[in-house]
Amino acid sequence: MADCEKLLAILEEKFGAKRDLADKWGFTVLVERENLHALMLFLRDDQSAKFDVLLDIVGVDYLGFKDYEGPRFAVEYVLKTMKAPVRRMRVKVLVSETDCKVPSIADLYAIANWQEREVFDQYGVVFEGHPDLRRLLNHAEFEGHPLRKDYPAHKRQWLSTNDYLLPELEARLESKGYKIVARSKEVMPNDDEYLEGSRKV
Amino acid sequence: MIVINPNGEQQALMPLNVGPSHPATHGCLRYMAAMDGETIVACETEIGYLHRGFEKMAERGTWQQVLPYTDRLNYCSAIMNNIAYCRAVEEMLGVEIPERTKVIRVIVNELSRMADHCICVAAAAQDLGSTTGFFYLFDSREKTMVIWEKLTGARLTNSYSRIGGLYRDLYNGFEEDVLDVCNTAERNLKDVHACFDRNRIFLDRTTNVGVISPERAISYGWTGPCLRATGVASDLRKDEPYYDYETYDWNVVVGTKGDVYDRLMVRLAEIEESIKIVRQALKRLKPGPIDIVDPRIRVPAHALAYQDMEALIGRFRSVYEGIRVPKGEHYCGSETANGELGFTLISDGSGKPWRIKVRPPCLTQFAAYQELVEGSMLADSMATLSSINIIAGELDR
Repeated sequence: MADCEKLLAILEEKFGAKRDLADKWGFTVLVERENLHALMLFLRDDQSAKFDVLLDIVGVDYLGFKDYEGPRFAVEYVLKTMKAPVRRMRVKVLVSETDCKVPSIADLYAIANWQEREVFDQYGVVFEGHPDLRRLLNHAEFEGHPLRKDYPAHKRQWLSTNDYLLPELEARLESKGYKIVARSKEVMPNDDEYLEGSRKV
Repeated sequence: MIVINPNGEQQALMPLNVGPSHPATHGCLRYMAAMDGETIVACETEIGYLHRGFEKMAERGTWQQVLPYTDRLNYCSAIMNNIAYCRAVEEMLGVEIPERTKVIRVIVNELSRMADHCICVAAAAQDLGSTTGFFYLFDSREKTMVIWEKLTGARLTNSYSRIGGLYRDLYNGFEEDVLDVCNTAERNLKDVHACFDRNRIFLDRTTNVGVISPERAISYGWTGPCLRATGVASDLRKDEPYYDYETYDWNVVVGTKGDVYDRLMVRLAEIEESIKIVRQALKRLKPGPIDIVDPRIRVPAHALAYQDMEALIGRFRSVYEGIRVPKGEHYCGSETANGELGFTLISDGSGKPWRIKVRPPCLTQFAAYQELVEGSMLADSMATLSSINIIAGELDR
């Protein structure tokens, strides 16, 4: 904790970060989203910080939260370090509903790719610069973002088919230096059958 | 599909769909692989087939009502998830649980870890075609299940821990049963090692398969036995000890290469370490209370409700209004069988959680899966999958 206090002075000066007092048990800093990427890069690489593990990215919806005024959404990054494992820190960015965007940190941590996809899936927060922002847990045809507080828990949706993974597979091949000449006909989706769920209604 | 490979040669690759319902996909995982003969050139994974909306459900009940849902995260070691959740809430409430509860939690934690590791290695052995190894390991796991049955009344998705205490005290004869499990597990481990250690087929199928470097594993946020298999000695029970883990005599097991062999062997060695801890913990088991005395947190005993007005009110409020957890946000991670199971809890001061986010250890491991299998054979991808121990309940929540 004492290390984090020391770090906070640097973070305040460099990135305008503040301590978030809602976290009474650990250490959370609040940062503006413009400075998020630079701050995460600093936290990962600087010798005094070395937060090399990104444990989790948490989306929060504050719609209707008691005595809360401020932007509706928050995205929180849970960090820890392998060097002196007692040190943990959380970084929090507030996001408004009208401009629901956060810079992606998928280039800094490999796991951020999936975790950002999950937050996008559940809350609809867009991560700018993410290489492949699509749903992770919910279905490709799913409409809406289920963990938002205004999404009714009992709402049902008709979902018809699997994710059609071929375009993603081709993108993966291309990222490895392959060039696609022809797609196989057998695996192309049948337009009548594919995606006949929520999207077409 | 016809492609031009990086050397400029034309090649025909076959897209192959594996899963979601396949015996080797351990539940419901799916991946699409571009195959060059039997070699996987590129792989793309899809998850979410077991997504039940745990986090949405958790927001709809009281803090206590989340407990049975946590069993369904990693259902191979259900009680461990209970304990991790209870610990996170207890930290927020700022309560200290009684000494006896701590020791009992350590014992059931380590028994769960043994059972979980047994299942993982047994399933891996089965996937590699070794039914003998499978049964040796399932034998000791079955004995643990019998203990769970006596202790909680259920075998698989059982919940034993409660916020501020335990569901009930141990039954008579618990110590003997646990010692019996330890002895059986030790004997079975010898047989398992005899099956695998010098087995040419097993070694050929597992060594240098699904290798990951420690740097890459850390970047993927790996924790637990899979990270330790790459040689990083990281274990929350040592690094941030809770429930007096630092006072027990045991070692952190690490591997060297981070391949399938290391991941399985680290698990087998961890079973031995868990047995050590259980044996020591049994000696510390002293009679005493198991619940904290605070009707606002731990519901008063049922018998009291008929005699004592305060207890009746306590029970009523605890059921209808839930525990009032102080307003704020907290992250708490515990070392479970698969790695760090973390709960981010956000409370608005009412009896219901505002937000519970689970950090499942499997997700980080499965995110790296495509990197692990690309360039290897299709059959190796099955060995890799069983070695990273994906539990769909926890992965998809």
